[in-house]
Amino acid sequence: MTTTALELTSVTKTFGGLVSLDALSLSVQEREVLSVIGPNGAGKTTFFNIITGVYQPDSGDVLLYGRSIAGMTPDRVARMGVARTFQNVRLFLNLTVRENITAAMYGRTKSNLLDTLLGTPRARRESRENEERVLDALSFFGTRLQGYRLDQPAYSLSYANRRRLEIARAMATGARVLLLDEPAAGMNPAETHEITEIIGRLRAERDYTIVVIEHDMHVVEGVSDRVIALDHGVKIAEGSFDSVATDPSVIEAYLGRGSAAKK
Amino acid sequence: MSEQDQAGRGIGTDEWVAQHEDRVGAPQTGMARVAQQWTRLPGLVRWGIPLVIFLSVPFIGSSDYILRIGINLGLFVLLALGLNLVVGYSGLLDLGFVAFYGFGAYAYAMLSSEQFGVHLNSIVALLLVIGTTASFGFILGLPSRRLTGDYLAIATLFFGQMFAVFVVSSDEFQFPGMSDPVDLTGGANGITQVDQISVFGFTFETNLSYYLLLVVLVVFFTVATKRIHFSRHGLAWRSLGEDTVAAQHMTIPTVRLKLLAFTIGAGVAGLAGAIFASVQQGVYPSEFMLPLLITIYAALILGGLGSIPGILLGAFIMVVLPEVLRFPDYSNGIFLAVLIIAVIATVKSWKVLLWAFGGMIVIGFLVNGILLALQVPYLAAKEWITGPLAPVLGSWVFMPDNRVLYGNIAFVALVGLAAWMSIMRRRTRIIVLPLALWLAIWTWEVRLLLEPSVTRQLLIGALLIVLMASRPQGLLGKPRVEVL
Repeated sequence: MTTTALELTSVTKTFGGLVSLDALSLSVQEREVLSVIGPNGAGKTTFFNIITGVYQPDSGDVLLYGRSIAGMTPDRVARMGVARTFQNVRLFLNLTVRENITAAMYGRTKSNLLDTLLGTPRARRESRENEERVLDALSFFGTRLQGYRLDQPAYSLSYANRRRLEIARAMATGARVLLLDEPAAGMNPAETHEITEIIGRLRAERDYTIVVIEHDMHVVEGVSDRVIALDHGVKIAEGSFDSVATDPSVIEAYLGRGSAAKK
Repeated sequence: MSEQDQAGRGIGTDEWVAQHEDRVGAPQTGMARVAQQWTRLPGLVRWGIPLVIFLSVPFIGSSDYILRIGINLGLFVLLALGLNLVVGYSGLLDLGFVAFYGFGAYAYAMLSSEQFGVHLNSIVALLLVIGTTASFGFILGLPSRRLTGDYLAIATLFFGQMFAVFVVSSDEFQFPGMSDPVDLTGGANGITQVDQISVFGFTFETNLSYYLLLVVLVVFFTVATKRIHFSRHGLAWRSLGEDTVAAQHMTIPTVRLKLLAFTIGAGVAGLAGAIFASVQQGVYPSEFMLPLLITIYAALILGGLGSIPGILLGAFIMVVLPEVLRFPDYSNGIFLAVLIIAVIATVKSWKVLLWAFGGMIVIGFLVNGILLALQVPYLAAKEWITGPLAPVLGSWVFMPDNRVLYGNIAFVALVGLAAWMSIMRRRTRIIVLPLALWLAIWTWEVRLLLEPSVTRQLLIGALLIVLMASRPQGLLGKPRVEVL
């Protein structure tokens, strides 16, 4: 019997007259990799924003391990254990690689300003632990973000390295659930292949529960235990990659009415 | 990357990373070498050298004038470090900051003068001042929960201006329900005869005692800022300054940290204000207005936002330079040095340099000779130009008897020429360069040296423009990017 990590119960979100999510219900099991696909404007990123507390649902609830997190601010949601990456990478560009990751450990450390000024044992212990966690998170991506790169500003990184750093930063929050918003966007085939591997290892080696929004079907096919297709805020298909990819309503959503019949 | 490559090196192995130490360790030349050697010194030495210099200043026969500049510098550094938390780290454009400095000064003055006949114990007064100023910082921080960028700047600027107006006009403050108006702030005359700070029986009376107090405080706040820089809070502040939304998603409670930055920054400014009131034993409204705010921002930006040595250097330049430029001898030397260095830094080819400076010298002698031969009325330049450069410049600069008139004409011509040069083709610009250089020096010597109080502002402005154009990140700041 697996536990449910994340659950949405009939979540609706409208912006003015536009219904972005329409009574969406779904659940993600612990250590599951769930992919969310759908055409542009289907409500995929709104779905992430609802979970992380950027928006509050108009109705319905978001449960994390059975506890409601709807209405919490993003920093509280993150401390509860949900971390995300952004569709358009949002690193702290002028901070170094090390600082980017350490900054994300704010919620799991406790030193106050007095500890910092006096250099109390707690402050020193935490900074030592943070240092280990930085290396641990980065070791996931080979040596390319280590060594001198640790002290390079994030803006000096290549696009692919920025995406990797963003995942490392999300890991550093101590979250158990990772929401990855198009992790392979803009990457070349080799890098895409590597991201697919990394998502698999995140689950296999670190036991993360992962929700991925992705347009690249090779990635979706490679990583997913289960796929959900959204269109206009409605779940139109759910199941294994093969069943969703061949679902007539999914093909219709992507290609238009009648496409499925011609095939 | 083929599969074989990956297998050989493992995922993500990078030769560039492996070779990094060799590249950094490679010997440098010129200024880079000096900088490299300096950064290799232990931190204690790098920070110790300036500290020893500043500690020895009072004991090498420095006048009260120099100590007063030192005191101003100390107060200024405290303000800059306080503002750095808000602007440099958290990226919140706070234009009401000097109000806290003024509030601290006025609060201390009210608690220790005949204004209300209150003479609190200094420690109690200081704690009260810091506490209330910090609470005001908290209140001013509240709009930052929703406002960012320009909008926050407008809101805080309003607060700063409100303070200035309130202080000037509250000599007859009408409390509701009271028949007679109360003199709260002394209006334009300020509050005078403020008690000096007295701690455990020791009263700070002399400039020397204040100077040493400020050295201690500056060291304390510098060390504190250095510790905070890489700490949990420092990183949180800096990351929310970079991207508030992303910071909030990374477990950082952004609202609380913004308010904390405002509160601490205001508290530091309040402390500086109280000391300021005690140093000059009085507070006057004109001292806490926009010019001071602009100077603090100039120091932060000049030194490099967020860089601690940069802030100290920026503050030093913005406080000491205007004082140095009061003396024509110094300002003359600084002007020529800056001009020559700027030309050398921008012109890369030595042929062009030779042409520029050679041409400039020739033009000077030619003009001098022609005008002398035409018997244009003149002043003996040697008598007007003082300082070590007098013998060189004396026979090179032609000084007309009506310096003001010709100087004004030359100044307008110089501005016009500079504007024209900016749209010239490169070749033409090089041809005109000697003339422009000569005209700049001639205008300076003939006209601008006559009025040091005006020219020092011009010179500082020009310096800032040149610096910002060549090093937008500030003297010691790291290059920053906004969007990439």
